[in-house]
Amino acid sequence: MLVSWNWLRDYVPLDVTPTEFADRLMMAGLNHESTEPYGADFVVDLEVTSNRPDCLGHLGIAREAALLFQQPLRVPQPELSEQGEAASTAVRVDIEAPDLCRQYSARLIRGVRIGPSPAWLAVRLQSLGIALINNVVDATNYVLMECGQPLHAFDYSALAGGRIVVRRARTGERLTAIDHKVYELDPTMCVIADAERPVALAGVMGGAESEVQTTTRDLLIEAAEFSPLSVRATARKLKLHSPSSYRFERGIDAAGIDWASRRCCELILRSGGGQLAPGQVFAGSAPSERPPVTLRLSQLPRILGIDVPVERVQQILEGLGCVELRRGPGSISVAAPSWRRDLIREIDLVEEVARVHGYDKIPEDTRVPMVASHRSESDRVHATVRATLAAAGLDEALTLSMVSERSAECFSPWTDAAPLAADTPILEGADRLRRSLIPSLIAARQSNESKQNPDAALFEVAKIYLRQPAGLPREQWTIGLVVGGDYFQAKGLVTALLRALHVASTPAEQSVSMPLLDISRSIALVLEGEPLAFIGELSALGMRQSELRARASIAEINLELLVRHARLIPQHAPLSNFPVVTRDLNLVVDESVRWTDLETTVRSTVGPLLESLEFREVYRDPAKDGADKKRLLFTLTLRASDRTLTNEEADNVRVAVVAAAHSQLSAKLLEG
Amino acid sequence: MPLSDFITALDELATQALAAFQATADKSALETARVEFLGAKNGRLKLTQQRMTAVDPADRPAAGQKLNQVKSTIQAAFEAASQRLESAALVQHRDPQFDPTLPGIVPKRGHLHPITQTIAELTDIMGRLGFTVADGPEIEDEWHNFDALNIPLDHPARDPLDNFYLATAGRTAGDGPLLLRSQTSTVQIRVMERQPPPVRIIALGRVYRPDQVDETHYPMFHQMEGLLIDQGITMADLKSVLRLFASSYLGTAVHIRFRPSFFPFTEPSVEVDMHWQDRWIEMGGAGMVDPRVLEAVGYDPEQVTGFAFGLGIERLCGRRHGITDIRNFHYNDVRFLHQF
Repeated sequence: MLVSWNWLRDYVPLDVTPTEFADRLMMAGLNHESTEPYGADFVVDLEVTSNRPDCLGHLGIAREAALLFQQPLRVPQPELSEQGEAASTAVRVDIEAPDLCRQYSARLIRGVRIGPSPAWLAVRLQSLGIALINNVVDATNYVLMECGQPLHAFDYSALAGGRIVVRRARTGERLTAIDHKVYELDPTMCVIADAERPVALAGVMGGAESEVQTTTRDLLIEAAEFSPLSVRATARKLKLHSPSSYRFERGIDAAGIDWASRRCCELILRSGGGQLAPGQVFAGSAPSERPPVTLRLSQLPRILGIDVPVERVQQILEGLGCVELRRGPGSISVAAPSWRRDLIREIDLVEEVARVHGYDKIPEDTRVPMVASHRSESDRVHATVRATLAAAGLDEALTLSMVSERSAECFSPWTDAAPLAADTPILEGADRLRRSLIPSLIAARQSNESKQNPDAALFEVAKIYLRQPAGLPREQWTIGLVVGGDYFQAKGLVTALLRALHVASTPAEQSVSMPLLDISRSIALVLEGEPLAFIGELSALGMRQSELRARASIAEINLELLVRHARLIPQHAPLSNFPVVTRDLNLVVDESVRWTDLETTVRSTVGPLLESLEFREVYRDPAKDGADKKRLLFTLTLRASDRTLTNEEADNVRVAVVAAAHSQLSAKLLEG
Repeated sequence: MPLSDFITALDELATQALAAFQATADKSALETARVEFLGAKNGRLKLTQQRMTAVDPADRPAAGQKLNQVKSTIQAAFEAASQRLESAALVQHRDPQFDPTLPGIVPKRGHLHPITQTIAELTDIMGRLGFTVADGPEIEDEWHNFDALNIPLDHPARDPLDNFYLATAGRTAGDGPLLLRSQTSTVQIRVMERQPPPVRIIALGRVYRPDQVDETHYPMFHQMEGLLIDQGITMADLKSVLRLFASSYLGTAVHIRFRPSFFPFTEPSVEVDMHWQDRWIEMGGAGMVDPRVLEAVGYDPEQVTGFAFGLGIERLCGRRHGITDIRNFHYNDVRFLHQF
């Protein structure tokens, strides 16, 4: 809201500088954007919050200033003389859409002379950056900037039948607005029509055919109350935002329409002559009286934490325009002014008292009681995951929750259900809620490659969104990571996370088939029957689709499952002080035998003596071992908790392992 | 042989042995000297000892005493020489070929995103002030994102063009519209719906608004929301908690200023500034929880009061680290990430 300093002081005497004025208003709720000199005047730009449309006119600002600076407020009273036949003989107003227009007032001025505005008025509008049109349109704009009520002047001769019909637009109707563009109308929009056709978009913009021109002689002055929601929807749909629509959207002073209409006529008559027809033509209903609001004084300390003297409370409420109806012991009942539709409840009055009295009176050193807070398990696991991956050299990425359709389709390990979509894309084309973090992370690695940051190792901790049959979608906290190098790089990171979180059970490993991943070099980890992670090296197709140059591998982990299985308070187990004995083995097995098969056999055979089982190498020698055979080399580390193991015991373990591997996996020991 | 001759021989032997051990320059010379004087078979001490049989029997105790004395003297001299040579071996000589100014082997360390780091710090501070983290869904219904927060149907914030509503295609008919939450205040509602007062929580996370991307706008950003509901909570408590928070965050005592503002879910509503380095800096929005919000979750506004506040993480993080273009947070350029 641009405020002319000179204009403002028509209504309130202020002996402060514009800077002091702006500072005080800021602390009462009108943020100061800027102050610019304009000739001998200053133009102060104030930010008005959406609950305060009463401050969208100079009078409203003056009322605030009068209260804050303890000065009297002078509201001009329009002086009109009426002549000729009553307006109602020439004008008829019907509201056919009462939900979109509560009241409509029309006044008629006959024989006006269209010309330039007087200089005093012109300079005020110009200081606010409002273009001068002619004395009539300028007068409507002046009153708009004075009291916040939008007005419209029609060329009466262009209104068929002298009629005003407030109704919904009919399908297919069009209107050429005063910007000379043609707008397609639809039945959600409220129009002002004459007996035949729409002549204005209610509260948004007038029509070109009925606009005031130099030849105009008779005027119909509209002052009305249109529904905020309808004006907003129409302005938005047609991309037609105006100072009028801005004010209707926020709500105008329903009891101030008549004042605005008379004030506008007064200015027109003064500059353009003519005769005001007696009376107004009014349709709709005048605003009903609002119920009184009672403020219990005890609520002030209860909400604000300070006492405000009752005299100060009265002074503030009165200054706002409230009329005191009743004073009880410890309470005040008031009728709120019509321009403050936001004052309905007790808490509204509490806020008004606080804001005018000053928030600086509220102390900042109360003793807020101390309570215990705790970090949730989930929070702790998230922190451990981040610390572990960062320690492993991965950088944390932040990618958008929505992706393009192509990106959404390229990888979805957790669900086959289609991704959820938003009506509006978050960025160009990205309207699918992601079901995996991997496509975003691969894109981030690719964008680093293209910026000559080779080998970006990235991870992200975020939610993925999974469609549910009913209710809210499932949001699954997920870890995604992408690293350079082969499958084992990614797999090792998953193992590191399981160890960092002391997950006790060992996940089962299952083959997967996903086009993004190499069909051999990929796996799913399943923890106690639930999918925990998907790990893989990108396939040739995946590399091409992702436009990656260097080999890359990915892993995606269900973080919520990890939270459930994490042991955040690990328990101590006594350490054995007896020495370890190691035994190396080299077994020949079929290609189809997997490491996990062998590991299971070894672990169940050795039992508690096994301190660790370390894979060394896989080696193939078809000449010696035959086709489809491989050698698995590994080391057993054995230790007992109660004694030193003898070589003989260790040898027995080794023999038992060989026998079990032979019987279960047809493995043959390779000596030497 | 007179006793005096034997003693003279022993003294001479001791003198010579001491000189020999002191003169040794390396381990092999020491060994040679040891064999000469202390050798078990033909060492000179052994040979001298054998001559004791020639001493008059009456003088033998005195001779034996002297022998033992000399023996331990020589032994001590040997050990001293031995230790001297061992220490000498530890004396260091600078290697002209080794350049200690060459760089060390730096382990590769990853970097947490600055937004995460900021969130961790804020969570930590609020934790010390007794606020526990609460989590809630990012995809919300209109009740939690709007209605319960006193944002009525005709409020501009509900305009479909200002929100990410989910497409209805493929969703069960009868379920209300869903949207990506436009503020973390939704979590307040969910927490209050499932627990009676007192409530003392913060909620952090992603929020979504369809803004045109520029230096200060991005359609996805992060907020922190705080909520305290109990009997007797006032705006003075709000100011005090925010002062403690700001002082902890900046590491120095700061003052807090409230400017009146408007939010549907709080009343009174204020903008919060903190005074730092002679300037007022915007912190975020705050206020006393609107009685309608308390009623919406089944609390009695005559029994309890409370405050809520919200901060933009990107803005706090950006100001702290000198990041003036919000888009940097989203490029995932590792050169950017490595700066934090």
